[in-house]
Amino acid sequence: MTTDVHTGTPAAPGRTRRPAPARPSERRWAAIFLSPAMLVIGIFMVVPILLTVWISLHEWSMFTSLGDMTWRGLDNYAGLWSDAGFRNSLRNTVLYVLLVVVLTIPLSVLLGLLLYFPTMRGKAAIRTALFATYVVPTVAIAMVWGALYAPTYGPFDQILGAVGITGIGWLSSPDTALISLVVFHVWQMIGYYTVLVVAGLTQIPGELYEAARVDGAGFWRQTTSLTLPMLGRTMTFVVLIAVVNAIQVFDPIYILTQGGPAGSTEVLSFTIQRTAFEYGLAGQASAMAFSLFLLMVAVGAALMVAMRRRR
Amino acid sequence: MITRRLQRVSLRVTLAMVLLVPAFPLFWMLSSSLKSPQELMRTPPTWLPSEPTLDAYRTVFDVLPFGRAFANSLLVSGVATLSVLVTSILAGYVFAKYRFRGRDALFWAMVATMFLPPIVTLVPLYWLVSQLGLSDSYLGVMLPWLANGFGIFLMRQFIADVPDDLIDAARLDGAGELRIVTRVVAPLVLPAIVTLGVFAFVFYWNNFIWPLSILQSTEKFPVVLMLSQLLSYSTSVQYQNVVMAGAAIASIPTIVVFLLTQRVFVAGIARSGVKG
Repeated sequence: MTTDVHTGTPAAPGRTRRPAPARPSERRWAAIFLSPAMLVIGIFMVVPILLTVWISLHEWSMFTSLGDMTWRGLDNYAGLWSDAGFRNSLRNTVLYVLLVVVLTIPLSVLLGLLLYFPTMRGKAAIRTALFATYVVPTVAIAMVWGALYAPTYGPFDQILGAVGITGIGWLSSPDTALISLVVFHVWQMIGYYTVLVVAGLTQIPGELYEAARVDGAGFWRQTTSLTLPMLGRTMTFVVLIAVVNAIQVFDPIYILTQGGPAGSTEVLSFTIQRTAFEYGLAGQASAMAFSLFLLMVAVGAALMVAMRRRR
Repeated sequence: MITRRLQRVSLRVTLAMVLLVPAFPLFWMLSSSLKSPQELMRTPPTWLPSEPTLDAYRTVFDVLPFGRAFANSLLVSGVATLSVLVTSILAGYVFAKYRFRGRDALFWAMVATMFLPPIVTLVPLYWLVSQLGLSDSYLGVMLPWLANGFGIFLMRQFIADVPDDLIDAARLDGAGELRIVTRVVAPLVLPAIVTLGVFAFVFYWNNFIWPLSILQSTEKFPVVLMLSQLLSYSTSVQYQNVVMAGAAIASIPTIVVFLLTQRVFVAGIARSGVKG
């Protein structure tokens, strides 16, 4: 095995055994086989990042030619900090990501333990249900959640009303709209993270549990002193992916709230899309987009360092 | 004895809850799509349709060109998925089995792009595709996503496990590199191909922000974009069945593809450990 299933980190490619020395023809084939992927990724991912930076230093309506750009230097970035709308978006995005992570960690571990440990029927059905939510189009299932969250006649209010809880505003109140969207997000994604946790659990050597049992540790003790500490790296990785997914949330915002009520669900990706495509302010939008990129790189780097430490 | 039984019962209850929570919104979608407008307006709402009807499914196709949208999505997702498979297998083979200077740096640089949120490059992508004269076209919808870092990563992972001896034996038999990839390597990494294929198909089928930004003509809209045109309906209770029917239709292909492949797919994800 050259693959570390635990977190999906491939073994260093250099370690793979190479019986035949590199032949001159290999170089040609490498170029031929790599060029389609490199062309697409180069032109449509690498070049656009550079273009984002370039555009962010200009004033430009994106519907005219690039020649119509006016140099603004760092003005767009300076403008962001005095822009209450951007600050609100940034705050909402950070809050959204934090809430998603805070809910995802315990839930994915609990579900992972449930799916991994007991040998009982129903596990396959649960896995299927958890993953079905993950593959359905976010746009489609967000519309369903709009109906679930509907005030009074919606099923959530009906169920809660039966036990005497009324008046939760869900998506229509600025106090609850963001957390309602977070709940939907976690609901849709949790099956994926659970599978990662189960993969992490299978990596813990069985002998460790044997030893723990011999030492008289019960299930609870085994979980807290053995399972959870051994899951550290997996969970760091889960958090990394959860942050990447949550930081770019767009579809449910567009479908369910359009940033409202009162800007309480206005997140960066939604603001960026609207600033560029509806207000035609490509320079400002690009400054926001690159700020989002830097934020993501910073969080990602911090988590990578944390993951290395746990090795 | 009693505590053990209690434990078992509580575990059963927990499992039932765990099954109910993910399934309920999907159940509600189907149930509402089968109700009549009269039933939708009833208070309290019914859980199951009292007289199930497929009217809403007919209405969806009447108010919007949903059939056309379905075909559009199949075309775009199908072609893009094929392209991702081909580019990823070829690149994955090179990164797993060839040796050249700068290989690892190049590999990680390409893999890193999978973490790039599309929103970061949305503006320049729109400009680039427009400059190519491809805005509001099928090709424009597909072009930026015809290869990705996740696919290359996944394929390299699996192809690295293909024994070098097999490849060398094929070379000794006079097989060319392309033949080795298609006849020796690809059949051995079939689970990875299935996993990546499902992942890519689901990704393109569900992709919303890019078609929303690049397309203007309704007749080129993919299903999810067409579905979002029903948003105005969702505010009226009596049209809830039409919205739900649309959502169900848009969801069917991804669910079918997943159910057909779930064993291989879930194992592949556990192994890759990364979302594209």
